Amino acid sequence: MQQHILKDFDHAVSTLRAEVLVMAGLARLNLERAMRALFERNLELANAVIADDNEVDEYERRIDQLGMDVLVRFHPVASDLRLVVTSMKISMNLERISDHAVSIAKRARKMSEGAELPDVTLLEPLYTLADHLLRDAISSFSDRNAVLGESLGARDKELDRMHREVTALFGSRIEESGRSADYLHLILIVRSLERVGDMAANIGENAVFLDEARDIRHEESRKHSQNNPG
Amino acid sequence: MSEHLFEVPELPECARGIPAIQVRDVDFSYGSNQVLKNISMDVPANEVIAFIGPSGCGKTTLLRCFNRMNDLVPGARVTRGSIVIEGADINDSSIDPVQLRRHVGMVFQKSNPFPRSIYENVAYGPRTLGEKRKRTLDEIVETSLRRAALWDEVKDRLDDMATGLSGGQQQRLCIARTMAVNPEIILMDEPCSALDPIATAHVEDLILSLKEHYTIVIVTHNMQQATRVSDKTAFFYLGELVEYDSTRKIFENPAHKRTEGYISGRFG
Repeated sequence: MQQHILKDFDHAVSTLRAEVLVMAGLARLNLERAMRALFERNLELANAVIADDNEVDEYERRIDQLGMDVLVRFHPVASDLRLVVTSMKISMNLERISDHAVSIAKRARKMSEGAELPDVTLLEPLYTLADHLLRDAISSFSDRNAVLGESLGARDKELDRMHREVTALFGSRIEESGRSADYLHLILIVRSLERVGDMAANIGENAVFLDEARDIRHEESRKHSQNNPG
Repeated sequence: MSEHLFEVPELPECARGIPAIQVRDVDFSYGSNQVLKNISMDVPANEVIAFIGPSGCGKTTLLRCFNRMNDLVPGARVTRGSIVIEGADINDSSIDPVQLRRHVGMVFQKSNPFPRSIYENVAYGPRTLGEKRKRTLDEIVETSLRRAALWDEVKDRLDDMATGLSGGQQQRLCIARTMAVNPEIILMDEPCSALDPIATAHVEDLILSLKEHYTIVIVTHNMQQATRVSDKTAFFYLGELVEYDSTRKIFENPAHKRTEGYISGRFG
């Protein structure tokens, strides 16, 4: 995009965008380390995730401040305005993703106290899909790629399906395995991964708005209520 | 059409739903210097339309075409196309520009009250149209000042000199003066450029309240003002109308790169 007449504006906006991308990297790293802590029964990694969440929280605060600063000082419009608004919304989603990473890490820490549970490996495909959704969500924002952003919703549905299946399986094992606490942890970890997928899809929706000024949120329910008035 | 407090010679009646102003293929020149090129647009009735664009883009020239203020500039003329207001081509030789200006009022960049009382400033137009009845003039003055949101501030000092009012009050007085002859359309050429933020807010609030009764076209260099007060925005560049759409569309997702460059400060 052509340079702004005010160099300060270009600097503020590029700083905002860069902060979101760094925060996204940290949130994704926290999720990855939390899952490795679970798979490898690594207490150190789990503790690191819990400790580093503060940094992600701090990024959220900074991005909000930067966004407010740009709004107050420069009154951005059109794609500049969309960048500020989406940056602030995306940072909120990233903060929640990191919170889920912390929740996973805490459960990994608790599970590492007991015997190894082979069914933990059933979470790998769910984590892989959630991670790819998150990776592509970040790309759709950084590249202003509406096509990629819009595709995430459908892929998130696959994660939802896997979530349902694995949750049902673990639910049945709560009683029969005699390790109900561990399976309950796994069910809640799967739930966290499913939520990460939802948030990645949210980020994708924000990327569509950023790129094309199209609001695709809740489109299915909107279509449904249009087709079924009253 | 808005209510008439007194009789004004009419242009043909404006049918409901028909644009207040229809501009078709208009070229305009100052001598040999063409400053408007092939402009076509409809200005809907009872809406506020903002004209934006860099200095020299032709927005004020087009605004002044709407009540033929450019007639006063030697060599200035519409060289092609038509501007239709209430069914009449206003550049037709049968149209009296003085009568046209009763229907299409104008408020200027700098407030310009006459060096007379507040009352006389508002009563001036109706008086020149032949209204002599004191009671009718009192009604017109009160109604116009109320619509200009100035009545409560000046009702106890109507005989004071208008030049003693603050800048913002003077500008609202000029708007009241424009309304006193009951126009259908009010043109505003950067009406807040000399006002402080509080006075600007009063004028903007007034503009929003007036669209119930009038069609308003406003030239502004203040992008935030355009977003606050207008329903539609037209962006002009080098004499051309680049984009004309709802204000929300223009400022959220303009169709043209040049519009986005201008409104977001990436221009030139």
